[in-house]
Amino acid sequence: MKKQSPAFMLLIYGGLVIWLLLASLPIVWTAIISLRQYVDAFSVPVKWFAPITFENYSRLWIDKEFYRNFLNTAIVTIGTVTISLSVGCVAGYALSRYRGSLGFWLLMIALVFRALPHSTLLPSFFTIFDAMGIRNSYFTLIFVLVAINQPFTIWMLRSFFINIPQELDEAAMVDGCTRFQAFRRVIIPVMWPGLVTTGLFSFLLAYNDFLLSSALTNAEKMTMPAAIANAINAESEALLMQGVAGAVSITIPLLILVAIFQKQIVSGLTQGAVKG
Amino acid sequence: MKTRSFLQFVGPSVALMLGLMALPLIITFYLSVRNCTLQMEVVTETQSGPFGTQEVVTQRAKTGSDGRALQSCSFVGLDYFRKVLGVYGGGSSAASEAPPAEADTGGTVAGTAAASTQKSQDAKDSKGKNEFWGALRFTLLYVLATTPFILGIGFALALAVNHASPKIKGFVIAASLLPFIITPVVGALSIKWLFRDNGLIPYLLSFVGVKVFWMAQAWSAQLLIIVYGIWHVMPFAFIVLYAGLQSVPQDSLEAATIDGASRWQKLRYVTLPHLMPLIIFVLLIHVMDAYRVFEPVLVLTQGAFTTSVQYLTYSILLQENNPFKASAASVLTIFGIVVLLIPLLRKTWREQRRGF
Repeated sequence: MKKQSPAFMLLIYGGLVIWLLLASLPIVWTAIISLRQYVDAFSVPVKWFAPITFENYSRLWIDKEFYRNFLNTAIVTIGTVTISLSVGCVAGYALSRYRGSLGFWLLMIALVFRALPHSTLLPSFFTIFDAMGIRNSYFTLIFVLVAINQPFTIWMLRSFFINIPQELDEAAMVDGCTRFQAFRRVIIPVMWPGLVTTGLFSFLLAYNDFLLSSALTNAEKMTMPAAIANAINAESEALLMQGVAGAVSITIPLLILVAIFQKQIVSGLTQGAVKG
Repeated sequence: MKTRSFLQFVGPSVALMLGLMALPLIITFYLSVRNCTLQMEVVTETQSGPFGTQEVVTQRAKTGSDGRALQSCSFVGLDYFRKVLGVYGGGSSAASEAPPAEADTGGTVAGTAAASTQKSQDAKDSKGKNEFWGALRFTLLYVLATTPFILGIGFALALAVNHASPKIKGFVIAASLLPFIITPVVGALSIKWLFRDNGLIPYLLSFVGVKVFWMAQAWSAQLLIIVYGIWHVMPFAFIVLYAGLQSVPQDSLEAATIDGASRWQKLRYVTLPHLMPLIIFVLLIHVMDAYRVFEPVLVLTQGAFTTSVQYLTYSILLQENNPFKASAASVLTIFGIVVLLIPLLRKTWREQRRGF
């Protein structure tokens, strides 16, 4: 391969450094000021170094009981991912094996639903759930998130299932398995990478959701992103700093996720691209 | 696979989508042409106080046998659509005269007062103001302003990483994923704190003589939303295009080099055509997602200077407490996304048709 000119390499590495700075700046700076008192966090001139304090975190997690929101998030995301995957898996498998036009129509309708702005569903959610008295409940929120997740989940899982040769389930069925046994005993074991990737995206959708979680739950059942909305218009300095600590608290699990599952996330992003 | 077992397999998924997406959509359409008001009654109450007993005439909501406030609902046609679009035709419309029942007031006198102040405020606020058009205009501006940057910078970054040493590739990709997977509310908040008065960016900008109160006027708040959008979505374009670059046929590139093609010509005539399907894919996904822009609008402006279509429904529902008007805004939002989706649907339609 031809040696690149120094000026060209400078351009490339300079560009990369600038992007890395811009990409990480909001997150890194938020993390830095979360360890400060308000007067050090927002001051003119900006202080590059300031005394470190964990007060914001202790106020938030202990006094404001943010651990409750953490547990709510855990319940909602685990519930959503589990149900999403189990329901989506059988549907995605069927869509990858069925040749009739019914499957095609289902995929098309799912695509329209995938694009639907979620707030358009809220007025009727309010009306239905209030009438049934189930508005402020984990189950309602989980099932709403699962349903909203389904279009994306079945498209993604279908694209993974299509890569598994049909001969595999046919062989199992010749050996006496029913369709469902073939699916469960033969296909699922080779599907793990696809399941992990799809599960990650389901997790991100449930974990990051703000609109539905904040609209459908009351204070004691709010997830972390919904609870942090209080910091948007924070009037007091203490409240603002607790919001900063909350923002960092929400981001840390995501950082761990990227560190562990970087490959799967990238493969999930490109999966849709390859398949259109 | 037989149709029968196909239906059994997709059954649970379809049931969920029908019950929690299709059905609510139909109900939204239904709600958008209706309005409910609390039934009021005039009662004479006897109040005993320290200065004797007196009779007071008050208005209160009727309650049914189960203790709930009785509501009278009626068909109001397109009244709420006119309201959201700021069009006033016939003068007296049911929607503008009767504000809807507030959900939890339970028919107290306070509830009536709240309802009537809301009514007068409504009339003042939205007199001839086209709320939906304002929201749609910014949403489309956001789509148009972010798309070229996301594709352009994403492509440039993909090329740069492709030329960089393999040792740092993994690190750059991992770092780029962060803005993409961060919780949107948190991402928007961290941008807000960076640009806040006494924040880091205004301080750095003051060295070059720029002094802007970023969240205090429309143009800068909108600019911040767009900056947030580029920061948040660009990594997606970068990763997809970078993956695409790995599959550019090397023989074509070598052949072009032998034929004396410059770097630019190779990029223009070999690489770009190869990436075209991916660029279109990113474009369509982004248009779809950008139409839903919500969190940065909420966080960075609180709807003060600018709204988006999702924000409009959300604020009508939760701040004005009016599910019927919110439904009208929803229906208009759905029309918008259907129009935007037509190219994507046509493309997928053609591709998938081939597969079946």
